[in-house]
Amino acid sequence: MVQAAIADTVPVTVLTGYLGAGKTTLLNRILTHEHGKKVAVIVNEFGEVGIDNQLIINADEEIFEMNNGCICCTVRGDLIRIIGNLMRRRDKFDHLVIETTGLADPAPVIQTFFMDEEVQSQSFLDAVVTVVDAKHIWQHWEADEAQEQIAFADVILLNKIDLVEPNVVDELERRIRSMNAMTKIYRTRNAEIEMDDLLGVKAFDLNRALEIDPEFLGEDAHQHDETVGSVAIVESGSIDGQRLNEWLGVLLQSKGPDIFRMKGILNIKGENNRYVFQGVHMLFDGIRDRPWKASETRKNEMVFIGRNLNETQLKEEFRKCLV
Amino acid sequence: MFGLKSTGRQTWKRTYRYQLAEYVTQVAWSPSGNSLAACSAAGEIVLIPFQNAVAGSIECLASSAGPIERLAFSADGQFLATGDQTGQVRIWSCEEQTFIPLLTHHRSGYWIEHLCWHPTQPLLAFNVGHTAEILNVTTQAVVATLDFENSSVLCLAWHPSKGLLMVGGYQGIKVWNSQDWQEEPLVVELDSASLEIAWSPNEKYLASGNLDRTITVLEWPGEHPNSKPWVMRGFPGKVRHLAWSPLRSTESELCLAAASMEGVVIWERDPDPLIGWNGYVLESHTQAVEAIAFQPQTQHLASAGADGLISLWHNAARLTQTLNDAPQGFSGLSWHPQGQFLAAGGSQGELFIWAQTRAAKGFAKI
Repeated sequence: MVQAAIADTVPVTVLTGYLGAGKTTLLNRILTHEHGKKVAVIVNEFGEVGIDNQLIINADEEIFEMNNGCICCTVRGDLIRIIGNLMRRRDKFDHLVIETTGLADPAPVIQTFFMDEEVQSQSFLDAVVTVVDAKHIWQHWEADEAQEQIAFADVILLNKIDLVEPNVVDELERRIRSMNAMTKIYRTRNAEIEMDDLLGVKAFDLNRALEIDPEFLGEDAHQHDETVGSVAIVESGSIDGQRLNEWLGVLLQSKGPDIFRMKGILNIKGENNRYVFQGVHMLFDGIRDRPWKASETRKNEMVFIGRNLNETQLKEEFRKCLV
Repeated sequence: MFGLKSTGRQTWKRTYRYQLAEYVTQVAWSPSGNSLAACSAAGEIVLIPFQNAVAGSIECLASSAGPIERLAFSADGQFLATGDQTGQVRIWSCEEQTFIPLLTHHRSGYWIEHLCWHPTQPLLAFNVGHTAEILNVTTQAVVATLDFENSSVLCLAWHPSKGLLMVGGYQGIKVWNSQDWQEEPLVVELDSASLEIAWSPNEKYLASGNLDRTITVLEWPGEHPNSKPWVMRGFPGKVRHLAWSPLRSTESELCLAAASMEGVVIWERDPDPLIGWNGYVLESHTQAVEAIAFQPQTQHLASAGADGLISLWHNAARLTQTLNDAPQGFSGLSWHPQGQFLAAGGSQGELFIWAQTRAAKGFAKI
């Protein structure tokens, strides 16, 4: 089923950011760019999308709670309905962009792509892209939505850098990096960015290497001035698969709501292959990856992004899983 | 020949093929069986006169600017309605295979995804965002706008005889009574969302196919459902399609067919009330099942899949034939009201009719 569908699956870019940050400008760039792709857009608030001959669908955000045994999560009912419907076409589009409202929590959008088998078999999440207004973000810094949009992002556009001093941008980038150690950050004016950096990112592809900003790993002590932050764990040695499983089970049950995203590559005892995984809140997705190469050092790397994460405790508990 | 692949004796033979421009979103026979209607994602609506087992020349109705989502004949065959992605509900009156535009109802900005005719009256229910509107086709007036509130309306169904309209969506089904639309609806609570509602033809059970990979079945003996519904679990995905077997005699129990991803499950009532229902899986499809329907007056089931197969199941159990005429996938099917013809649409715009060969009655017995 999944194999047969892969050739047809449509990449999906989720666009988040506050009202006025430059989402619509970026969206119009995607739509007018000569990439030869047919793009469909689902928007949750009316913006200045003035492009003809493109499929623009306006829909109200509908959050559905799903309880599947011990896993609780929220999904977007409107997306399940609309994406299922859009796939009933002979000539399907090449790319789907979902623009969320400025106040939206990105988690239900992402979780929809983990939870709904129909959406999953016909499309895949390419990346969560967040546009940050370098001038006005400071007013929203304490807002949950602003923090979540940064924490969930695979790509961040630090937009409107021409409106602030360079040292302010540096400070902003430092703060964002401490919150999200995995995101790619681009400094932009008028949301000008290379399309290759935006579309086809494959950030949710488990076969793609985990990329932690080396600078983040280099720092010994992080200045956590935000409640939202990243914890990176790098340990050599091998992991006891069962102990790890138990630990993650308990961790996701108890801390799931506070863990926004996690990713990792693990060296599991007795396995010749790498084990790669990712998670969003309580949802977890892991596969046996390629074999370790003879030339590479086997190690374990994990990144957690979340709220009020206890770095010391996470590291201690992880070490207990080492053989 | 005819692209038929059979695992038993061939009893269905393709007799007609037509090509639409886009994905066929729905096929439906008129109640008399004298017309076959189909619509597509390109906004096409076609009608094929059908008499003495012969398809006549095709008639195209004025197409829509957007994909047509649904098409439905009223139970008496007097009206044909379509709903589309431009927010239009269009109704034609049908006389002697002539279709005359009767009215167009605009709800710009909404996708009309569900249409449902009252079983005896000229009332059409359809979704508009999180409301269901009831249009009286005779007076051409909207007689009720029912706010589901919890979410967009995800499915609609009329009770077979009592004039109740069931509206499904997030966290349940709301039941309005056409005697008094102002009255508060009865609410059947569900954990997730109802995606498909089906009344058993003996009016005893209401089944809901749900987003959380379950089916809820309620026994509905009088004005209210019994308080404890049955919940069937273990589906590989959300339950997208339901079909009750036709009523054959008053004593015989019915079975319920349910489609979820590539699986079809048949549920039968167990004599033991504690067990409730027993299910078994019909395995043949390798991709999502897009439609299931029982042949009228029989227990035989047809299932159409995105894998390009229509599977024919004798007594909803044994696979007797597969039709593989739409290699890119079937999108829907419809049985002729007398059951001796089967029509189906494909994802590439194909439209087919198969006829039962004279050799056998019902599906082949090996």
